[in-house]
Amino acid sequence: MAAPKRTDRLVAGEELEPFTFQVTEEFNENYLHSVEDFHPRYVTGVDGAQPIIHAGLLFNFSNLTRSPTFSLPAGVAAIHTHEEATFYDPAPVGSTITVSWKILDTYEKRERLYQVVEALITTDTGAKVLRRVSTNIYMGEG
Amino acid sequence: MPPLGHDTPVGHTVTGRTKKVTSYRTWLFSGGWPRFDGWPAKNVHTDLAAAQQSGLPTRAASGAMCLGYLTELLVDLFGEAWLSHGELTSKFIGIVDAGDDIVSKARVTEVEKLGSGIQISLDVWCENQDGTPVVVGTASGRVQ
Repeated sequence: MAAPKRTDRLVAGEELEPFTFQVTEEFNENYLHSVEDFHPRYVTGVDGAQPIIHAGLLFNFSNLTRSPTFSLPAGVAAIHTHEEATFYDPAPVGSTITVSWKILDTYEKRERLYQVVEALITTDTGAKVLRRVSTNIYMGEG
Repeated sequence: MPPLGHDTPVGHTVTGRTKKVTSYRTWLFSGGWPRFDGWPAKNVHTDLAAAQQSGLPTRAASGAMCLGYLTELLVDLFGEAWLSHGELTSKFIGIVDAGDDIVSKARVTEVEKLGSGIQISLDVWCENQDGTPVVVGTASGRVQ
């Protein structure tokens, strides 16, 4: 199988391979510890509802670096500079999440490459959870 | 923290909980379990050498950590319903590293009538222990 195209060379309209993962109770709790947010809505659920996945986890695992076809040479890093997020519905713990990415724009500013990418986060039931439009800058020499 | 309501005035400012960024929490967030194929435990978020090789002066905690902090504040202010309609725009303007204390804040900038409820717009930001903003942005949500 051919190596994926370097992610910093992807242009508007190109997509990265989607990433699918299940968020178990343990996985979610790992994130609660990292952001020190132990509200019952994430642990036991409130008012009889199921516990929900923490937004920090969803943000982190929908960065384009999580795509199986994300590819950069050693010494080059994608740095997150700007973010627009729209929430649609919380996802219950136990959900299988799929993230799909599409490059919306690329441009240069002050001799640096910027890339704008859309990430769409959905559950295995097809429900939209979160849409992100993130801008990344590529730093380093590859 | 009292939630926002119909009597919340423009200019109302709130402060979230202070978060202590540690190497362990940064590793948990960006390098720990579960580690999927291709995701290194040593990366610009968790390892100084990896960060410097990429041209950064030091490790940079993932911007997603601050998005998690801001989301916590916004869910406190609007309730869990915010996760079904909320919007958040943010710009990352400073590096967060282990040892930093980060606090999220919000200031109401506009209150508009929206059907039977209201829509509230805010400036939001995260600042470090020196009072230096590291993330700035805007957010909005609805109150019935």
